Amino acid sequence: MSGVALPATHRGDGTGWGTALGLALVVLGWELAARALTGSYVLAAPSQIIAWLIENRALMLRALGETIGNAAAGFVLGNLAALVLAGIALAWPSSQRIVTGVALVVFCLPLVATGPILRVIFGPGDGPQVALAALAVYYTTLIPLLVGLRAAPATWFDLIASYGRGRVSALIHVRLMASLPYLFAGLQIAAPAAFLGAMVGEFTGAERGMGVLTIRAMRALDVEMTWALATVATAVAIVAYLAIGALARRVLKDAPPIILAPPRAEGAEAGPLHHLLSLAAVAAAIVALWGGAIALFDLNPFFAKGPDDVLRALIWAPNAADLRASLGVALGETAVFLLPGYLAGLAAGAGLAILFVLAPAVAGTAMPLAIALRSVPIVTTAPLIVLLLGRGATGTIVLVAIMVFFPTLVACIHGLRQAPGQVIDVFDSYAAGRLQRLLRVRIPAMLPAFFAAARMGVPASVLAVTVVEWLATGAGLGSLMALSASLSDYTLLWSAVALTAALSALGYAGVGLIEARILRIYAPEQLV
Amino acid sequence: MTQKLRLTRRGLMATGAAGLGAATLGFSPRAARAQTQVALQLSWLHSAQFAGSYIAQDRGFWAEEGLEVALLPGGPNAPVEPPVVSGTALVGISAADYTAAAVEQGAPFKILGVAMQENPFVIASLPANPVNTPADLVGKRIGMALANTPVLQALCTLNDVDINEIEIIPTQYSAQPLLSGEVDCLLCWETDLPVSMAIEGIESVTMLMADHGYALHSQTYIATEDSLANRRAELVGLMRGEVRGWDAYRADTDAAAALTLEMFPDAGLELETQQLQAERQVPLMFSELTDANGFGWWSDETVAANIETLALLGRTVTPDLWDRSILEEVHGA
Repeated sequence: MSGVALPATHRGDGTGWGTALGLALVVLGWELAARALTGSYVLAAPSQIIAWLIENRALMLRALGETIGNAAAGFVLGNLAALVLAGIALAWPSSQRIVTGVALVVFCLPLVATGPILRVIFGPGDGPQVALAALAVYYTTLIPLLVGLRAAPATWFDLIASYGRGRVSALIHVRLMASLPYLFAGLQIAAPAAFLGAMVGEFTGAERGMGVLTIRAMRALDVEMTWALATVATAVAIVAYLAIGALARRVLKDAPPIILAPPRAEGAEAGPLHHLLSLAAVAAAIVALWGGAIALFDLNPFFAKGPDDVLRALIWAPNAADLRASLGVALGETAVFLLPGYLAGLAAGAGLAILFVLAPAVAGTAMPLAIALRSVPIVTTAPLIVLLLGRGATGTIVLVAIMVFFPTLVACIHGLRQAPGQVIDVFDSYAAGRLQRLLRVRIPAMLPAFFAAARMGVPASVLAVTVVEWLATGAGLGSLMALSASLSDYTLLWSAVALTAALSALGYAGVGLIEARILRIYAPEQLV
Repeated sequence: MTQKLRLTRRGLMATGAAGLGAATLGFSPRAARAQTQVALQLSWLHSAQFAGSYIAQDRGFWAEEGLEVALLPGGPNAPVEPPVVSGTALVGISAADYTAAAVEQGAPFKILGVAMQENPFVIASLPANPVNTPADLVGKRIGMALANTPVLQALCTLNDVDINEIEIIPTQYSAQPLLSGEVDCLLCWETDLPVSMAIEGIESVTMLMADHGYALHSQTYIATEDSLANRRAELVGLMRGEVRGWDAYRADTDAAAALTLEMFPDAGLELETQQLQAERQVPLMFSELTDANGFGWWSDETVAANIETLALLGRTVTPDLWDRSILEEVHGA
């Protein structure tokens, strides 16, 4: 593989020093900023954080052990679920739309709603923490995995076929191998997400852990403790990210293949009718799962509202118009933040990935910062960003963009690396410049990964905006859901949940349509 | 090591603490004696806010009643009502407005006891720009969760203040927006954000909403009608332990705060904060009424005042939301 910017590794001594210098400057800037903002109680200086950590190391280690344990359990379970779902989608290609559709909707379920229900299902203990960590990761692994399982040249499949072997051999010898880079990209994104999921799970009533301490610290105005927790959470996420990256480099030795996929077979073209049918199938599967889960876990109808309850409340009930109106207002407030944040996050992620390729030296400093930015718990950064940017639109939009940009960045870096070595060699032999190689080889190679990230970004941005609304800005759908839960208006809560999930799924489908048009040109093997 | 000993001594705590692992593995901690296991769902994370219950646990008040009580912590995403409705918890710590809302939605709850006679909501401000009376709110920026708008509306109605003259700024629940000057005052509890500020050495002015007509029972004990009909003995035992625990708490709030830290070393609590919180809670929980009749009591007059406040919050309830039969049995014995 030729010299694509890799995140913060495989670097000569020169760049290593550059990285160290860059990071030192960042820490210095942080220290100065914290000292300037002392009276605002939003940011602690690195020196204060270190002092706090030394003083309270026993407490911190116990909390860290608890949360890491839950996050690790959730990481394993969630990724196993992703593997199983990808296997199902591959074994029965016609099921893929339903599998991904259902997986998407489940991923879109807002924490405000799922947390208390998981607590009732699991009872006291760490069940909800593990479950929320698993829910935070399975989808971001599933989607890249599905892309990767198809990222193989047709000639390889022909070779398998010429030996008279079938789909199982193709799966083992071709698809799994081809999917590994994408799987690792997914796992890298999943590691910080699992940790945050476990932390948020502790909001549902836990005895101990990093999330418990974070709530405590914020209420107690303990800025040192708040940022010490955030720093440790971030460090854990970075270590997990780098460890998976290192593992990936040990495993992935082969250069990516040239994929010259044939155009799609005739007749397989999915018409509008087909789209509608699969949409209906997803909706039917969701409704069945929804009602089935309530019956299976014998959830009390006081707080567990089924599809029929929600439909009745939205359509037939005497006050249905009021309910629709309040949902509509909240949706409007949310959309104003969501769309710009989503687009800004995508642009920033892809742009930064490309910048890293053009200027590898920048990556050394910027990549750890990018990981850090995504890994700092949003509850900690939200007050700082709100203070700096105000409680208006900008603050929320930036927070949403941060949640979207990191998965996009990671996916795009991996995608840029999928540029086939042989094609790069051809460009080299013509002495083509960096920019030419970027425009004609790397960006086209990046597109499948970019679109996978853009699709993942839909639910991620919805989750981000509802969490920010719930915890910081107090407007929109996130706030409406928190309010309805505290007032036991579970019909309103479930209606809001259904609306959120449905809109996320539609947004996802919308991105999918754009994706299909573009990949038809650049990566037709991805179109099933 | 001490931690371990303590866990065995307080068999109860094992349900909550060690039960973390046990529950997921599918076995429950063995019962030391033939005791009935019940759970009390707290409304927030462990802190001195519930120290009376910790005393009941620690001194074996519940064990004497034949009960093994698990204290389930709450949190920002842990509403109390679902575990009580579904039977995970026998009793939950709620508040009259939340209980009324849940009953309106079909939950069969009754209020068995009232821990906070006076509502803990305050308007907190800084001395340089104080809010001493509701009229002072005019022209101010108040930081609060939008969810609490009905609370502010009720206060305004009670005191003839036009809520449109107040600028509501939705904020996270923290004193930070007040200190950084983003808002002039906060809607919060007497016992949390002002305590945090005091510990940080920041003087604040608090206006207790209960002093301005906002009569609303808080930290109320709720149970389902079904439990009231079929699990009376357990309810009486649990409430008797609570009453004894809170009486002991009142006698020495510093000891109660110390016990809180001892029992929950992982909660990240500071002794000084807990002591101040425990102390500030006392005037809200104990009154002439409770001195005369015992902890948790209410009178027809306080219930009538609550019903009026609830009406301002848009909740229509009748006095039979409160069921005094359990407390009568506790205090009669």
